[in-house]
Amino acid sequence: MLDIRRISNSRWWHKKKNWVFFGIFLFLVFVRLSKGSIYKDFYYFISKPFWPGQFQKEIILKSIDQESFIKLNLLQRDNIRLRDILSLQKSTNKDNISAAVISRKTGSWWRQIILNKGSIDGVEIGSSVVGPGGLIGRVSNTSLYTSSVTLITSPESRLGVWVDRIQINGLLVGLGNDYPSLILYSKDTDIKVGDFVSSSPASTLIPPNIPIGVVQSINETFNNSQKTAKISLLAKPHVIDWVQILKAKI
Amino acid sequence: MNKFFSKNLPMISFVSVPVLFLWHPNWLGFLGAQPNWSLFWLLPWSMIHGSINGLIFGLFLGLILDSITLESTFTQIPGLILCGVLFGKFKLKSDTLVSHFRYGLICSFGSFLCGTLNFLQILFKNFSDITFLFFIPSIQNILAEVFLTGFFAPLICSQLVRMFKFSKKKVQS
Repeated sequence: MLDIRRISNSRWWHKKKNWVFFGIFLFLVFVRLSKGSIYKDFYYFISKPFWPGQFQKEIILKSIDQESFIKLNLLQRDNIRLRDILSLQKSTNKDNISAAVISRKTGSWWRQIILNKGSIDGVEIGSSVVGPGGLIGRVSNTSLYTSSVTLITSPESRLGVWVDRIQINGLLVGLGNDYPSLILYSKDTDIKVGDFVSSSPASTLIPPNIPIGVVQSINETFNNSQKTAKISLLAKPHVIDWVQILKAKI
Repeated sequence: MNKFFSKNLPMISFVSVPVLFLWHPNWLGFLGAQPNWSLFWLLPWSMIHGSINGLIFGLFLGLILDSITLESTFTQIPGLILCGVLFGKFKLKSDTLVSHFRYGLICSFGSFLCGTLNFLQILFKNFSDITFLFFIPSIQNILAEVFLTGFFAPLICSQLVRMFKFSKKKVQS
């Protein structure tokens, strides 16, 4: 009569099944609070093999490439036609000469490279030299089998360039370091860091529209009548092993 | 053949100076600069054969190096002539360790002299349109060149001195 205590193993927390349910409940609360992110991430992994994916991406990229190629061809043809009308200088791929860099002086007092093609291969003094990225320099001297190129980083180098965004011509001057200086002869020009610099369409020394570099910094306090900018070159002469010599008709 | 090489070692090494200058091995460089290769050859030569020989071969080296570089803003001839004459005034020491360090110090000084003369020539020629931005790479060039030349001189010059002495003996015998 006095023994009214329950048997100990009849308590709810002694049952494993209850704890399992409690665990599931807690997990669902977490899922609810995290707004289903675990499910979404789980779905991300299991659905990955079935995405419209790689194959379709390749097809689209190929189409974009083809479209760009066609556009480029049309623009090139337009460009040649317009340059013919204006009687401006032009360069064609037929006149390019591939050459290897056999000596490189890109630091110290000298900024020059020597190429393995010379006058016997048709290289002429004044030809422009481009590498992966853009313009590197101009041929200053040729021997029978070699040609020496003055880099655009050399203090000897002075080139007319074009800043496309603000449609203005400037002068690119080598300073003897890796960053030539762009001089714009107007204090009010709105040049910005990141602006793209290419060879000037008005230049008589180099073919037009060859990429050169981007503006890295602007020096505001140089002169009252000028604005200068430090240019980071797209082509890196200290690592390039092969270049193209463009035979421009000047 | 061996006799020919041992007698003409100085001239063979002289020819290799412009080759090294053109080769410009980047892995030996520091801040884009290279050691002054011509001074490594000129110091032992001038120390053994005297100032007049130093002057003449300084001029020869300057002419060759100027002909293979494009820059017309400066010439290396005055620096190398001055170094050739100056190096001829130094006498060889019998103490190996001291002479090793001496080579380093003398070559560093020579490199500083050549670099400063180059810089002054550029400064003089472009005096009107030079900006202060031009000074930074030039000073950096001089300092890097001085360091590298001083660093490698004890290694190279001591070997060249030995070779030149040996060759001189062969010619005299």
